[in-house]
Amino acid sequence: MTPRTGRRLLNAYVVVMMVFLALPIAIVIPSAFGEGGDLSFPPRGFSLKWFGAILERPELMAAAANSAAIALVATAVSLVVGTLSAVALRRYSFPGRGALMTLFMAPLVFPAIVLAAAIAMVLAPLGLIRTFQGLVLAHIVVVLPYVVRTVSATLAEVDRAWEEAALTLGASPWRGFRTITLPLLRPGLVAGATFSLIISFDEFTISLFLVGSGMMTLPIEMYNYAEFSLDPTLAAVSTLLILLTTLAVLAVERTVGLGKQFS
Amino acid sequence: MSGSAKGVALSGVAKWYGKVPAVRGLDLEVAPGEMVSLLGPSGCGKTTTLRMIAGLEAPDAGEIRIGGTRANEVPPWRRNIGMVFQSYALFPHKSVAENIGYGLVMRRLPRAEVAARVADAMRQVQLQGLDERVPSQLSGGQRQRVALARALVTRPDVLLFDEPLAALDRKLREQMQVEIRQLQRAVGITTIFVTHDQVEAMTLADRIVVMEGGRIVQSGTPGEIYERPGSHFVSDFIGMMNALRATVIGRAEDGGLRVRLEPGGRELAVAGPAGMAAGEGVELMLRPEKVRLNPPAGAGLIHVGGTVAHVVYLGAVTYLHVGTPDGLVIAMLPNAGGDAAAPRQGDAVTLGWRAADMVCFAPPRDA
Repeated sequence: MTPRTGRRLLNAYVVVMMVFLALPIAIVIPSAFGEGGDLSFPPRGFSLKWFGAILERPELMAAAANSAAIALVATAVSLVVGTLSAVALRRYSFPGRGALMTLFMAPLVFPAIVLAAAIAMVLAPLGLIRTFQGLVLAHIVVVLPYVVRTVSATLAEVDRAWEEAALTLGASPWRGFRTITLPLLRPGLVAGATFSLIISFDEFTISLFLVGSGMMTLPIEMYNYAEFSLDPTLAAVSTLLILLTTLAVLAVERTVGLGKQFS
Repeated sequence: MSGSAKGVALSGVAKWYGKVPAVRGLDLEVAPGEMVSLLGPSGCGKTTTLRMIAGLEAPDAGEIRIGGTRANEVPPWRRNIGMVFQSYALFPHKSVAENIGYGLVMRRLPRAEVAARVADAMRQVQLQGLDERVPSQLSGGQRQRVALARALVTRPDVLLFDEPLAALDRKLREQMQVEIRQLQRAVGITTIFVTHDQVEAMTLADRIVVMEGGRIVQSGTPGEIYERPGSHFVSDFIGMMNALRATVIGRAEDGGLRVRLEPGGRELAVAGPAGMAAGEGVELMLRPEKVRLNPPAGAGLIHVGGTVAHVVYLGAVTYLHVGTPDGLVIAMLPNAGGDAAAPRQGDAVTLGWRAADMVCFAPPRDA
């Protein structure tokens, strides 16, 4: 095989994979703008009525509000806890450091369904099932590894000599952290917060064990909705979510560079 | 500002990293206003010593006093020291002015005073007009100046440098050495700096403290260290040295040693350390610049004949590598007569030097 044909095959492979990954999105967005009452592709006609229809479904609106609030609180808590954890894991050596690092990363590799059952078993006796607080706690478990990960990656680039220079210049460790380390961690914090918001808002498996009447999240309400009617309202909600996610990722890419967080 | 300089005293200071001793029982006095260099190869404990004075490392034993007061328990941010780091450690997200003013802001000085003192400091190190730059927009020399200004602007009791010039190229390094020395004299601040570069130590320091294996092996003015090294290690580490192998054959009447050069067999009387017994091997250390080429007879010199094996022409001086019956001897010749005056490879020459210019040491054990 000549290098030329090899390159062509590679290009073709990349195109096929990209189409495969993007296809569901390519289908769901046009579906949201169709006139017909069924989720068919390609859609017939053009209409914005399904976006209007979202506003007439109070259960979807309430679930969206819940999901947003859960994502915001879980992210805020994770940023504080995750940053402190990353600093401890990166900057100090103590017994059990390796084990703790593994523990923080565990939710990333654990099957979500196992985690879901475990969390439900812990929260149930505490009376936290079907509560906002319970969902926030569960989501913190899920998103914390992402924050620890992104903040750790950024912290690795914060030279200890900068922190030491601050100390010799009269800054207490806390003031040094606030004026030197924290500002330099901003890229990791922004990236971690973005991941956290998106993942919490999108979380399904674990939430499924914790929701109930009066406390639903958007993904599960959408799933319930789909069980009874498969009309383009869901496509419209999905389109809005895709739009929001894309904007968030673009904003992070513009300000701090997403690629950096995975290098 | 001068007159407020404080001395630094270390007594019995030791530091271990796990089971590895980094500094073992160090005693060091630095007088107010003195500029002292800690010189030694990497791993000799010099940087650890500096970091303990800064408070960035805690000694496991011994006492550190700054201005006569015990400082062991004083955290770095209350020690009132200035430190210039090897990498400069300029805050990358702060401008030049913010970097220099950082220590003043931490001391909660009024904004107007911070601005005035930052401007003063920037003038002192010739950085006017660069206030708004960030470190990544500065040259190596400018970064060095910012680091220096940042360390000095708080009027610290002690100024510490960790290999401050290692990152600069030679020309700039020599220029900065002079600038640092002039600034230190002008401010009159007690200064301790760490280096592995003997030229830097000699250029900058009032006193050189040579360290090896976590201990001080010699302390003295650059002249003392160079002319009268106290050990084989020091003589070998500072400057270039000829080392002639010899065997002790007995004591001379004046208390010196009688030795026989190996393999040439010539017998000499030299000043040597006490406690050397007949039969022991020693090395006679001789600076290349003390060796004279074709000296007149009868000048009271040791004369050795040999053949030029190698010529190294360096512009200002030429090094002659001469093979003699007593081993290889390197002679340094000033090039006052131009590049044509020096002997060529293969020429037969006579070398001469004073017996008093040789220093006799037991060779290092692992050699």
